[in-house]
Amino acid sequence: MEIVIQALVNGILFGTMYGTAAIGLSLIFGTMRIVFIAQGSIIIFFSYLCFWLFTLLGIDPYLSIIPIVLVALLLGVAFYYGLFKESAALQDRISSLLIAVGVMFVAENFMTVAWTPNPRAVVTTYGFYTVRLFGIHTTLTRLIALGIAILATTGVFLFLRKTLIGTAVRACSEDSEASSLMGISPHRVNAVAFAIGTGLAGIAGINFATTYSFDPNYGFDIAIKALIALTLGGIGNVGGALLGGIIIGVIESMASYYVGMGWAQGILFVIFILTLTLRPYGLFGKISQKA
Amino acid sequence: MMKKTRKSSEQLGRAKDPSGFLKSLVQAGLKNRIFLIIIIAVLALVLFGTMPFMIGVDSFFIYYLFMVFIYIVVSQGWNLIGGYTGQVSLGTHAFFALGGYTTALIWLHDITHTWYYFDPLVMALSGVVPAIFAIIIGIPTLSRLRGDYFSFGTLAAAQILQIVILRTTAFSGGAVGLRLPAGGFTDLGRYYWTALLLVVLAVVAVYAITKSRIGLALRAISEDEMSAASHGIHILKYKLLAFIIGSFIIGVCGSLFAYYQFIVNPSSMMSLDRWMFYPLLICVLGGNGTIMGPIIGAFIVVTLFTFGENLVGRVHPMLSGILIILVMKFMPTGIWGLKDKISPRR
Repeated sequence: MEIVIQALVNGILFGTMYGTAAIGLSLIFGTMRIVFIAQGSIIIFFSYLCFWLFTLLGIDPYLSIIPIVLVALLLGVAFYYGLFKESAALQDRISSLLIAVGVMFVAENFMTVAWTPNPRAVVTTYGFYTVRLFGIHTTLTRLIALGIAILATTGVFLFLRKTLIGTAVRACSEDSEASSLMGISPHRVNAVAFAIGTGLAGIAGINFATTYSFDPNYGFDIAIKALIALTLGGIGNVGGALLGGIIIGVIESMASYYVGMGWAQGILFVIFILTLTLRPYGLFGKISQKA
Repeated sequence: MMKKTRKSSEQLGRAKDPSGFLKSLVQAGLKNRIFLIIIIAVLALVLFGTMPFMIGVDSFFIYYLFMVFIYIVVSQGWNLIGGYTGQVSLGTHAFFALGGYTTALIWLHDITHTWYYFDPLVMALSGVVPAIFAIIIGIPTLSRLRGDYFSFGTLAAAQILQIVILRTTAFSGGAVGLRLPAGGFTDLGRYYWTALLLVVLAVVAVYAITKSRIGLALRAISEDEMSAASHGIHILKYKLLAFIIGSFIIGVCGSLFAYYQFIVNPSSMMSLDRWMFYPLLICVLGGNGTIMGPIIGAFIVVTLFTFGENLVGRVHPMLSGILIILVMKFMPTGIWGLKDKISPRR
């Protein structure tokens, strides 16, 4: 029984990471209809950046949040204006998907060349502290990762609800044509959505770096899981995406405990297909929200 | 009187001198586009068909052309569903791998009692199995999922298949894969000509389909599904048909590749890059939803990737990534699409 709860908790902790990735994906997909498959590789890229800052300059991973998120936001804006502007305007899905694949190729192989394909990890002095809560062991870093993910999600949620540009992002996500008729400039909104997406990738990257070991080929896996989380949560639904991520994390860890590691992914994909066919608006979405 | 003699002398000239015949062929070709296309196709076929005799069967160039042919066939299969019908399937690698695995399993378990190595029956069956798989995943995904969701659905189905292959070690060999009972690899020639034959068959089949009423229906679906349905086109039927035929073509090609490798395993047959993204890239680069697109695209992509691998080594996937980005950013209609920009006549 204890081991089941342990698996559950691990699943939740791991799932928040998929969740943060999925929120980014959800915003990007919602506003621009771009399947940003490179999200996972970008996350790993920021993990490496965090790793570099730590090993070369000795900057603590949690301090490096500030520079990394700044870089990530800028990267998002650069991605939008540099690469995706035209295809987003045309809603040309194949082109944007292929550009995202190109970004993934470049990021993945850049990392392989720059940092070798061997797994790396950020090893801090406090990385080994374990916390015991209600009979469950977990490491301190994982708990902090959970906290950061929830904080980031709340931040994004408040940004989307309370600020004018956030409202514009939501409007575009619901109906981009109608919102541009209302005088919302799509480019600025799209750039903001993209920046938030990659910013969250930065945060997820730091969380990943502090809790697990990583290698360049891990990115696609994360991207796919984020995609599943996104469909579970419903497009444009920030809280739903996080919850979807957590559900995925839990299912994954439970499935690896009960039916074995290899099948866990298969179960996830079956759930993915079932969600797509039976509830395309997500588990928490309303029917009116069309995909 | 004068006129008559000139005409008869012309006829005489044609009979005597073979270049006169050629000249009249060219003139007929310039007048009639279809005739010209056939002439060019036959010339290309003769050129590529006799290539091994000219430069030696085992030269690197023949291997390179073999890869080009393989990619033309796979991309043409994808083109039918992704290009002409507008349903972007991301499960190409699953059909390809299924073709290869079917070949290996039939051979290993001695099912058809034929000679197996380059057996047309085995190759055809290797197309039938992916076609059945296409029906199984096509009915739920094509009937309920639109646009991106269809892409996700096919990708998920393909990944499920990959996991099943990886896990059912006793049957499929798992990650190690299945070794074909060693046949007689003699030279590249057989592979080359079979691939060329597949190219011809695939191109002719896709061309014939797209020029028929089915092709019209597919185009209508890709342009506007709602409007197509309201004009009495059974959307699911036609989408499924395109999906099945495309999968058949891809599966047969997978079978040929299995013969070439003598081993089928997930990392080579189900490679996401090689058998899913590259065919997509080839189609979009060459011109999506055109018959020439995959041919042009395959030549360009295989050239760049083969020689890129040899020249810059490890950096080459990075360069190909940049290439994908640049092409998609500046030329989203593909190379064959530029033709329409230059001359609006279609």
